[in-house]
Amino acid sequence: MEDYFSYTAELFNLDDANQKPEALKGIRVMDFSHVIFGPVAARLLGDYGAEVIKLELPFYGDLWRPATYWGKYWKHSNPIWHNITKNKYFLSVNLALKQSKELIYKMAETSDVVIENFAPGTADAWQIGYEKISKINPNIIFLSCSTYGQFGPMRYFPGWDLLAQGASGVLTLNGYPDTDVFYKLPDYVGDFVPGNFATLAVLMALYHRRKTGKGQYIDMAQTEGLMRTLFHYTYYSVTGEAIGRTGNTDPTMMPASIFKTADDKYLALACATSGQFQKFATAIGRPELATDQRFAETPDRLKPENAKVLTAIAADWVKTKSGEEIVRLADEAGFPAAEVADDFTIANDEWRRKRGSVVLFKDDVYGDLVIAGPSAQLSGTPSRTKWLARPLGYHNRVVLKKFLGLSEEEIKDLEKKKVIGTFDDRPGLKPPVYYNLDEDPIYNYGKEVRS
Amino acid sequence: MSSREEVYTRHGGKGGDRGKILAEMMNAEGKAEVLDDILVLDVSSANFAGIICASFLAEFGAEVVKIEPPEGDPARLITPFGVTVQGVGIPFMFEGRNKRYMTLDIKNSDEDRKTFAALAKKAAVVIESFAPGEMDSWGIGYRQLSQINPGLIYIALSAYGQYTDKAREAVRAPDADITSQAGSGLPAQMGAPEEDPEPFSWPLRGGMWAGWYISGLSAAVGGAVALIHRQNTGEGQMVDVAGMDAYSSMVGMPATIGFTWEKARPRIGVLDFILYPYGHWKCKDGFVAIAAPRDHDFRALLKILGLWEQEDDWRYSSDRIPDILEQALHLHRIIEEKTLQYTADELVRMALNYSRKSARSKWRGGGVPIVMKLMTPEEAMTNKQWHIRKAFQEVEDEKLGKYTISANFVKMSESPPRVKWVASEIGKDNDYIRKKYLSD
Repeated sequence: MEDYFSYTAELFNLDDANQKPEALKGIRVMDFSHVIFGPVAARLLGDYGAEVIKLELPFYGDLWRPATYWGKYWKHSNPIWHNITKNKYFLSVNLALKQSKELIYKMAETSDVVIENFAPGTADAWQIGYEKISKINPNIIFLSCSTYGQFGPMRYFPGWDLLAQGASGVLTLNGYPDTDVFYKLPDYVGDFVPGNFATLAVLMALYHRRKTGKGQYIDMAQTEGLMRTLFHYTYYSVTGEAIGRTGNTDPTMMPASIFKTADDKYLALACATSGQFQKFATAIGRPELATDQRFAETPDRLKPENAKVLTAIAADWVKTKSGEEIVRLADEAGFPAAEVADDFTIANDEWRRKRGSVVLFKDDVYGDLVIAGPSAQLSGTPSRTKWLARPLGYHNRVVLKKFLGLSEEEIKDLEKKKVIGTFDDRPGLKPPVYYNLDEDPIYNYGKEVRS
Repeated sequence: MSSREEVYTRHGGKGGDRGKILAEMMNAEGKAEVLDDILVLDVSSANFAGIICASFLAEFGAEVVKIEPPEGDPARLITPFGVTVQGVGIPFMFEGRNKRYMTLDIKNSDEDRKTFAALAKKAAVVIESFAPGEMDSWGIGYRQLSQINPGLIYIALSAYGQYTDKAREAVRAPDADITSQAGSGLPAQMGAPEEDPEPFSWPLRGGMWAGWYISGLSAAVGGAVALIHRQNTGEGQMVDVAGMDAYSSMVGMPATIGFTWEKARPRIGVLDFILYPYGHWKCKDGFVAIAAPRDHDFRALLKILGLWEQEDDWRYSSDRIPDILEQALHLHRIIEEKTLQYTADELVRMALNYSRKSARSKWRGGGVPIVMKLMTPEEAMTNKQWHIRKAFQEVEDEKLGKYTISANFVKMSESPPRVKWVASEIGKDNDYIRKKYLSD
């Protein structure tokens, strides 16, 4: 029989990925959303082949376009936004005008999914909510994303990832016991995790529609998405006590902490089972620990008084070895260990590039950029990147001509009336300075292009 | 509409009715279960990413069979401080949603492997977390099962994935939450700045299972995409999730920042890299979260706190998020001096009052400074919002008694997820499964 890893190398061969079928081909998504939560849900659908049309206001665009880390731009674009909202068609329409709404209504006839994350009630007030769109297209799947949900007394409260972290309680968990030192989860996890939940819901709705022909309305509250990930509530209902903050120690396994190595690296090490613990005890040259009555059974090992002793033993051992050595020993023995990876190591690790979880993407407008690959690799219908984010209004002509059948004259009229528009001179909205849009065949779709 | 609600309602919508109509529309009772026609086999072992993925599919109506050896999945004992109820840990109770329990010793028994293959022939999804290639060596990996069931979706969870030389080298490395967090970049972004005393300056673990929940959610999203492809074409496929990818691939920032900046971000404590103010502050009686990052929100916050004289220095968001840490901390302390003078309730009220007026006046620039009292998970359980939305559910296990879980994580008008029952007993459904799927 062929070796397993040769078999899987062929099964997941990245060179073939772009030739494989797309699971969501033919699905059209209208994406009214902004910032991260909604846009990520829409992007995931695009990654699997859906045609995602992102609507933004002319001259302003998505609030997140200029929001980059420490204000650092890359080729006049926001580098992290390329991860949040790639693979989309960027259409810039002034929602306040009647003619814009007519364009949206026309597009709604042939759309499968609509995604929005305005303050609850706003989309309806603007006549682009579920109420209106479902009259035009009764089979539409309409996803509304918000911090607290579309109903309930807090529905009108505005929110960000931070507020969802605060309202679910997760914000208070990341820090040290017996202190008031704690932090929010980084990188807007409170948007990305609920964004993935929202995508899961849309996929389930698409599955349902294929079976029954029925569309539906989806109300995804980001706080509820985070709440789904906390067994802390159950712990409290069973014991009457809170888990609280436990610093760098995971209270569900033992040992399980982040330690410092002999070469000043930070390293996470864990033993989830008694089997793993035996391997650990042998690897550190203390096999007697595995039969010690305080540690042999998992529930005993987890008791706070025993856990404290064991954490100290593990810390002392880690102190004597380099990070590399410990990870090698652990991989050989079969217990979990990993050095703490940072931005630089993640961007440059060779194995991540080979796996496709970190991708050097070659883009027609921006050139080479390292972006994240998917967090799940599919052998049959893999996620893929076709293009990065684009300047505001970049796809106006493609969308209006190709998808809606408008003529160049009609488009010029819409431009004149400021129904559609493009970017102003701000980074994040405009193209890179070296890039000549006049010669871009997509930006000028259906027009003569100088070359 | 109450005055609290009115505060943020800037449109003329008929607020009260919409809420009631929606609450009724989202009632799950009697609604279709979207996955009620598929069988899912979860043979994950000591790995909650697999259990969590299986739960999501079960909540959407799939028949999910948790298959474990006669002594039970070791995951049963992965629980905070060793707390169990009759030998079942809290996370296992929390995730024991709508599941069937069957015992098969696929690790040791040829007979049980045959039984597993017979079940897999009828299944839409298999979920496993053994060492990559281990199931294959037992003759029940994707390679063999896809021969007898070409429509099978095979979800494998591991530390480094199922392919690449790295996966081969580290084939024995198990996946755990804290190593998934560390290996995929979360702790590197959390903790006090380097100058602070140890261990506060160390990378900090997220205080929930960020690694396992992100892996489990990624597996479910990948699995759902595969289900749609299966629905369209009848074809199955393999879905490969690596714990060492989980966080970095979901948020995307580590890879791109590491490339464009050519170095790693330092840890910056309670500050944020992109937004300010965006975090939590100490007040007289606890903590408040404050989000006022847009320039007009920030100006509003300065007015509320009586700090208008600072406006000149910190006018633009680029002033407030400098990569000179001392400068950013300076502003943070200025704000903290003020928040310490008020209680959380006072600060919340001050922000609400301002926003109410701001919503009505075009001269105020529409600033919406958001201030909220921080809650612990236990406090969150008392919030009326979640009672109305049925976000918490009291469930009763035949053996373990009553307990509370968070449920109904998304509201859907036609095919919502739901928790019908909880159960955890080893081998409880052996007869049911054999009779239903193995009697022919």
